[in-house]
Amino acid sequence: MKPFVAASLFSLLPAVLSKTVTYDFNVTYTEANPDGQFSRRVIGINGQWPIPTIDVDKGDRLIIHLHNSLGDVETSLHFHGLYQNGTAYMDGPAAVTQCPLGPGQSMTYDFTVDQPGTYWYHSHVKGQYPDGIRAPFIVRDPKGPYAGKYDEEVVISLSDWYHQENPVLFSRFLSIANPTGAEPVPDSALMNETQGLQFNVKPGKTYMVRMVNMAAFAAQYFWIEGHKMNIIEVDGIYTEPAEADMIYITAAQRYSFLLTTRDDADANFVMVGSMDEDLFDTVPDGLNPNVTGYLVYDAAKPMPEPAEIDAFEPFDDFALVPLDGEDLFENPTYTFSLEVMMDNLNDGGNYAFFNGITYVAPKVPTLYTALSAGNVTMNPTIYGRDTNPHVFKHHDVVELVVNNNDPGKHPFHLHGHAFQLAYRSDEDAGLYNASDSSIEFAKKPMRRDTALIKPGGNMVLRFRADNPGVWLFHCHIEWHIQSGLVATFIEAPDVLQTAQKIPQDHLDVCMGQNLATVGNAAANDKNFLDLTGQNLSVPPIPAGFTARGIVALVFSIIAAFLGLAVITLYGSQEIKQKRT
Amino acid sequence: MVNVFAVPVFFIVFRESLETAIIASILLSFLKQTFDTPDSDRSAYVRLRRHVWLGLITGFIIVLAIGGGMIGAFYRLGVNAWANTEDLWEGIFCMIASVIITIMGAAILRVSKLQAKWQKKITLALQAKRSETTFGQKLEKYSLFILPFITILREGLEAVIFVGGVGLSYPASAFPVPVITGILAGAAIGFILYKGGNAFHLQIFLIVSTGFLYLVAAGLFSRGVWLIENYKYVKLVGGDVGETGVGAGSYDIRNSVWHVNCCSPEYNGGGGWGIFNALFGWQNSATYGSVISYNIYWIVVIAYFLFMYFREKKEFDASTRSDSDLEAENGKGVVGAGKVPGHTGVEVDEKSN
Repeated sequence: MKPFVAASLFSLLPAVLSKTVTYDFNVTYTEANPDGQFSRRVIGINGQWPIPTIDVDKGDRLIIHLHNSLGDVETSLHFHGLYQNGTAYMDGPAAVTQCPLGPGQSMTYDFTVDQPGTYWYHSHVKGQYPDGIRAPFIVRDPKGPYAGKYDEEVVISLSDWYHQENPVLFSRFLSIANPTGAEPVPDSALMNETQGLQFNVKPGKTYMVRMVNMAAFAAQYFWIEGHKMNIIEVDGIYTEPAEADMIYITAAQRYSFLLTTRDDADANFVMVGSMDEDLFDTVPDGLNPNVTGYLVYDAAKPMPEPAEIDAFEPFDDFALVPLDGEDLFENPTYTFSLEVMMDNLNDGGNYAFFNGITYVAPKVPTLYTALSAGNVTMNPTIYGRDTNPHVFKHHDVVELVVNNNDPGKHPFHLHGHAFQLAYRSDEDAGLYNASDSSIEFAKKPMRRDTALIKPGGNMVLRFRADNPGVWLFHCHIEWHIQSGLVATFIEAPDVLQTAQKIPQDHLDVCMGQNLATVGNAAANDKNFLDLTGQNLSVPPIPAGFTARGIVALVFSIIAAFLGLAVITLYGSQEIKQKRT
Repeated sequence: MVNVFAVPVFFIVFRESLETAIIASILLSFLKQTFDTPDSDRSAYVRLRRHVWLGLITGFIIVLAIGGGMIGAFYRLGVNAWANTEDLWEGIFCMIASVIITIMGAAILRVSKLQAKWQKKITLALQAKRSETTFGQKLEKYSLFILPFITILREGLEAVIFVGGVGLSYPASAFPVPVITGILAGAAIGFILYKGGNAFHLQIFLIVSTGFLYLVAAGLFSRGVWLIENYKYVKLVGGDVGETGVGAGSYDIRNSVWHVNCCSPEYNGGGGWGIFNALFGWQNSATYGSVISYNIYWIVVIAYFLFMYFREKKEFDASTRSDSDLEAENGKGVVGAGKVPGHTGVEVDEKSN
């Protein structure tokens, strides 16, 4: 499927050189076998998989007509990393900025892309994108700061792959059979949704490689033998050039780097993506955590095997400096922290929590609640207890401290913003302590939309609440989204009410499924403060002795004492009989 | 402590040693009363007494040799064969142990019945040898060696098999101490019986120890059910349940009756809670199965002992009635005053010969 490109009326005038790019996306099932091991059903678009890469120039208007032909499940599209400033309703997460697109339904995403960089898009209905509905989203920047520093742009995606479909894996993942919350381990790693990718290069050239990790779970170490990578962009933010031998790219992160090829074409070189096995609870026998591709200088020459490496020593992204030199935002006006932990609830499943709350979707998309709530829109209560709502005022400087009480790595993603990573602790540093004078914030912090927090560590993020909308903050390990590691940030909903209006076709999606488009999280549009009937999480496991336990224990003790009494009775008969 | 003292092993060894000690004591007192009289051959008494002791000691040494080898082999085999299904086997062994202890326990409580039983058997055995002269003088000559020898072999091997069956769920280090203390306790009780110690105090002691025995057995029964349930849960989870410690996820909440996130008899060896579990069947994570089985166990035990109580009471009432008739005829008591009840039976046999 080729994008339909309509040159704008003023295309001859360079100053307003922008166009409209239109895609017709019909979401369908198809078959694929990307790792050559197992053919399975995947979610494709227009009968194709991998699904198309969206490719626009900065300033273009993008129109996507989305039709759900899956027949049995809902879908939606989220454009990962796009701020959607002014079009919050185009962000895509189901039950947050729209209703899920039901089987047979259609809707249109229509917005202007005014930020250059490397992004991706994927379904934002629970757990769906690992089944295939994910692809890079490239916003080219012909006038960008690095324009002219490279000869060609290429896109390389990394991803992980499961042989089982997500609903099958999920039903076991979040169940009594998995009390430790061990995430399903991918069956393979992929590069551009395949293995053995050949990237044809010419000697003595410079390529801008746009790398996206579209994984459900696995972060990857990535390196190219015999070549260095010169990082110039992370998550849509240009950086000062930084040279790296190896990068670590979590699920949902992006890196662009300049790759200068060698002057001769004597040999080909291997590119390796290696899944971070620290993430896996157990590494199954026979798992190949690596995916290899090749820098092909000369197709007639052999493709080399990757060399063993002693240790993974990736580039630390905290050291990056944004090219625009933006200073750390000072004097935050809204400071809060999110405590990450995992625990089991009363159905036996292992859930993920921010501040003791595991996310449960509301009955009304949170954005629709914000728009319909009138003057109580700044009150977090109306958004529901388990959406974990935090309401910011317009232009607040927000400081978010994340404390990772979990011994796992988590890539946290914020919709609608690239945040400043002011501080990130080492592993097992414990809770963030604001009064610890040894902690130094970055002066010109690296900005990105997905940042890794270390096991048992903490990090401090800052951003300016200049984008009215409803933005999720969540771990981008898809399993953890499904187990509830999600919070909802409601940013300047009062401004939103006057500035934005939901397109009719989005509302029709809800109506078509008899879903409410107004009201609080419990779909109550009469009294927004009455949340009776809101969706809530499974209750916690009752602690210690409940009435049932006490009764059982007392009965057992009585039984034992009665038994001892009868034994004594029987035994003392002997004494009595001896005496007679 | 559970790792150095397997409670069921102690009781099994104690029970078997006690039985052996009773037999030995009956034989020795029989010899004393028959041959150690002023008008009898003192050297014959010493010789026969030596036979009894020789029989006991050689039997004991053989049992130790066989038992040690058997348990060693059993243990090695068991550890290899059942390592992967440990909970399942441990559960089954716990239940077997519980049943064995339950059946054996009642006998300890009625030590006089046990004595009477052996009194009768020994008498019959001695009698039989006397009447069957065709077997020759030699057999008779050594019967006082053979009888304790066979007895200790029989009881000892029984103990070995039971200990092997029960003890598989314990580490090898949990064997020596309960085996030694069990033998010593059994021998001590046997000695008290022989000496005709205070029957009242002895009976109190036996009631108390039997009470403990049944507490242990009830706990084992419940623990067996618990372990089998846990096995099913571990199988469902398919991984290391221990990884979750004692908190949520370490147990199947669907079957939970109570659960406290501490005090586990399993986790990290159990510590004091392991002892609490071994003695009283404590569980920090009780399930429907473990609670119900614990109560059912007691109901069965209560029913059994009540039944026995009333049956024996009836028998006794009947026998005292007939005894008093006898007493009226003979003018003399039949039931010995606690020393060695039924001893008179041997005398009667002697006379009738």
